[in-house]
Amino acid sequence: MSEQTPTDLQLEFQINGRNMKRRAQPHQRLLDFIRDDLALTGAKEGCGAGECGTCSVFVDGKLVKSCLMPVAKANGTKIETIEGLAGWGGDLTPVQKAFHKTGASQCGYCIPGMVMAATSALRENPKADIEEIKERLGGNICRCTGYTKIFEAVEMARDVLSGEANAAVLEADGAGKSYIGNNVRRLDAPSKVAGRLRYAGDMVMPGMLHMQVLRSPHAHALIKSIDTSEAENLPGVACVITADDVPGEDGFGVFVHDQPIMARGRVRYVGEAIAAVTADDMLTAVRAASLIKVEYEPIAAVFDSEEAMQNGAPVVHDYAPDNIVKHIPIRKGDVEQGFADADLVVEQSYDTQAVEHAYLEPEAGIAYVDHDDVVTVVSPSQNITHHRHMLAKIIDRPINKVRFIMSPVGGGFGGKEDMIYQGMLALSAMKTGAPVRLVYTREESIISTAKRHPARITYKMGLKQDGRITAVSFRMISDGGAYGLSTEGVMRKAAILACGPYNIPNVQIDTYGVYTNNTPSGAFRTFGAMQSQFATESHMDICAEKLGLDPFEFRRINMMQNGAVTHTQQQLGSVSIGRVLEAAEKASRWETGPVSMRGQERADLGGDDTRPPCTLGARFRKPGDDDRQEVA
Amino acid sequence: MLTCDQYHMPTSLADALVLWQDAPEGTQLVAGATDILPWAREGRAGDVHLPAMIDLSRVPELDGYTLDDGRIRLGANVVYQQFLTDEKLRALLPCMPYCSVWFADDQIREQATLAGNIVNASPAADGTPPMLALNGELEIARLENDDIARRNIAIDDFIKGPGTTDLKPGEIVTAVICDTLEGYGGSFQKVGQRRSLVISSVCAVACIKLDEATGKVADIRLALGGISPVPLRLTKTEQLLTGKRLTREMIVEAARQPADLVASRTRREYRRVVVRGFVEAAIEDALADCGAAVPDAETRETADV
Ligand SMILES: Cc1cc2nc3c(=O)[nH]c(=O)nc-3n(C[C@H](O)[C@H](O)[C@H](O)COP(=O)(O)OP(=O)(O)OC[C@H]3O[C@@H](n4cnc5c(N)ncnc54)[C@H](O)[C@@H]3O)c2cc1C
Ligand code: FES
Ligand code: FES
Repeated sequence: MSEQTPTDLQLEFQINGRNMKRRAQPHQRLLDFIRDDLALTGAKEGCGAGECGTCSVFVDGKLVKSCLMPVAKANGTKIETIEGLAGWGGDLTPVQKAFHKTGASQCGYCIPGMVMAATSALRENPKADIEEIKERLGGNICRCTGYTKIFEAVEMARDVLSGEANAAVLEADGAGKSYIGNNVRRLDAPSKVAGRLRYAGDMVMPGMLHMQVLRSPHAHALIKSIDTSEAENLPGVACVITADDVPGEDGFGVFVHDQPIMARGRVRYVGEAIAAVTADDMLTAVRAASLIKVEYEPIAAVFDSEEAMQNGAPVVHDYAPDNIVKHIPIRKGDVEQGFADADLVVEQSYDTQAVEHAYLEPEAGIAYVDHDDVVTVVSPSQNITHHRHMLAKIIDRPINKVRFIMSPVGGGFGGKEDMIYQGMLALSAMKTGAPVRLVYTREESIISTAKRHPARITYKMGLKQDGRITAVSFRMISDGGAYGLSTEGVMRKAAILACGPYNIPNVQIDTYGVYTNNTPSGAFRTFGAMQSQFATESHMDICAEKLGLDPFEFRRINMMQNGAVTHTQQQLGSVSIGRVLEAAEKASRWETGPVSMRGQERADLGGDDTRPPCTLGARFRKPGDDDRQEVA
Repeated sequence: MLTCDQYHMPTSLADALVLWQDAPEGTQLVAGATDILPWAREGRAGDVHLPAMIDLSRVPELDGYTLDDGRIRLGANVVYQQFLTDEKLRALLPCMPYCSVWFADDQIREQATLAGNIVNASPAADGTPPMLALNGELEIARLENDDIARRNIAIDDFIKGPGTTDLKPGEIVTAVICDTLEGYGGSFQKVGQRRSLVISSVCAVACIKLDEATGKVADIRLALGGISPVPLRLTKTEQLLTGKRLTREMIVEAARQPADLVASRTRREYRRVVVRGFVEAAIEDALADCGAAVPDAETRETADV
């Protein structure tokens, strides 16, 4: 790093109609400047790399991604942010109202950017049709609302703006006698469509300090020493914390509390927190973190869950010499007899991969110790009560001196159930006496937080020629990664739902969550059911084909009925699988019969309700072209 | 994170060249910054500190375009969105609107320059294959005894390999110069899983002009990106098709050749298959773009690939 002092920029510009003259640091991006210096936090940093569109703003009338624009480029320009569309407390624009009306705001994190992109699309072409709208919104990603409501909103706004529709369509529908069956607008939508809702990373407090975390480059290593002295001596640094600073009983997790808030003597995955620096500003914190010296001694690591189960495999946690986080066995009837009675036994294995949640809001939080000595953590935690209890133990404070406040969650999908960073924030706030904020980068979020469990499932099914299933053996080995997190619960759910909604007399289920040195796995939508259902339903199709049966028919032969008892002895009052099959068969225009009987030509493909592949070209259509020709 | 001590925004080419010539070691030129900013992040270059950055976007000599005898001089500040929105450019460079619409998204295209794309010399750069097909060259300026000196170099010679070019210290690319192909049909193909923000693994470009009287190919330009360390012009295939009346068989045959040129080290088989389909599609779409009949286009999917 250079010793030279940076030369500040002198900027003159107009923002949301107001003329301003400000200094800025030479390296700042327009996004940093409007968020940090001008406190306009409607534009967000979902990725910092141009990929997501949460940062979209107008510069001289053109929509740009402000995370990709050095602030110097904005000198002398007119900038318009989401805050400038409606004005504080002012009436929402038709685009914003339409987003409110159609419910196009779930977590809301992408919505300011979406509203900006929609506004831009209609400014560029007030008559843009749906295909052009889709094309023009292509640079903005939403992970929760889904695009249908968003596109619906843009079309509604277009029609109102062009006078084709009455502005009354933007207003709330009457709820009638009951809310059930009527569209009700979300109460929190105005704050989201206006960019006013503050997520944890948008919050500031007087005297707030900034945190940067140093992470492990090794998958499995002993930590010989950590030298933080140089970092601590850097002007602007308030404190550096490591596992040694934890006053209480260190350990968190949804089931087993096996994860220290920062690596304790040993790192178990790439990206694990080692130390955290708190400083006056982000840049100082980043520089200080690079001055921390860590001496590692890499040790043998294991990256495959089946290998981790072998004798002699590297042990990830001493308390679990077999590397098993959790084994859930379920037995019903006599599977060996079931296979012996079968006319046909079909065996197959299925693999699923790790998946990142990719909520648009990267992890963020702010912690402070209040006037009554209450250690307070504000974060988009999906599990605040449990976090509070764990943190009280970790920092050795009575429970009434620990408070968790849940900030708006910019998407979670299970990925924000783990107390990955809140402990570090609390410790630093306690050590400095100041509010401390941590905002993950997208890269940090991907490298250090839980993923969906990758699973390898071995399925064995015994069948009678007439289609009845006689037995199932289901063995699932899941990569739990370096720490337990939600693995136990996920294994339980996977086992409970392993055989799908089918009546199977003889069942043997084993699900194993296994420690490895991979990124920890945790909760993710469906919590284990996705993996087991993928295997079960794929297997059902394969077996139907082998038996020469229609796959719907095969399922009907085996499906549970009202009053069925599951393999975990739960009696089901009502079972809907019959109706589900009926609906799926109809909607997919299924041609009755075993799949092997079908010819080359399939009549069930490409109907009105199927989506053609993505093409672009809404802006190339020539007069007279078929409307759907080049479009997705 | 990218940090720097100085951020310069010169307002003339002479000023920019002086700054650049005298710049401390490690200084970088900036155009749209859409390559530079994401480069200085974790997983790529990580935290980078530069002594200075010299932003060229306010240098007026690099703005706009001029025409000269069948060639166009595109100033280095021309951004991708212009190829889509400027009616004149759309007519002069018929493959570029298609290249542009697949490039990043509307917002990034407002910033991203063609010159920056070429200088960055990524094997996945979408702008290079079209410029090869259009006999593109770069105009480069430098200071010589306080005067501005210029040289031109064919893009083919300029790009040495992934990330390496012939740009010398003190030099600034001032323009991209290429053929104008008014009246040609153009097309651009790109592998992508979604329609926006996809980096090509393979891309193909075609421009075709048919002889009005005979319907035979008067001129055809073909180039491929992503199949080797540097993009390739398909001169052999062009020769094969020039002067011919295109039939289905001929297009299929022409598309077979370039698959053998695939030299990428990763996903080679995949790229070979893609290339065949792409060259076919590029030719057919270019034919459609100039309003010509496409021989049996609907059989493409099942024909051969
Ligand atoms: C989300 C996203 C999507 C993208 N999608 C695509 C895509 O679909 N296809 C594609 O090809 N690329 C894509 N890119 C990459 C990038 O946008 C392009 O390469 C772009 O054209 C680079 O131009 P720029 O003006 O932003 O260059 P900059 O980042 O400013 O500069 C790039 C390099 O060129 C040098 N340079 C720039 N101008 C000059 C000059 N006049 N003289 C000498 N050197 C110069 C710079 O020093 C730097 O090394 C994408 C990038 C992002 C972030
Ligand atoms: S595109 Fe700018 S933050 Fe994602
Ligand atoms: S509402 Fe779009 S990301 Fe959550």
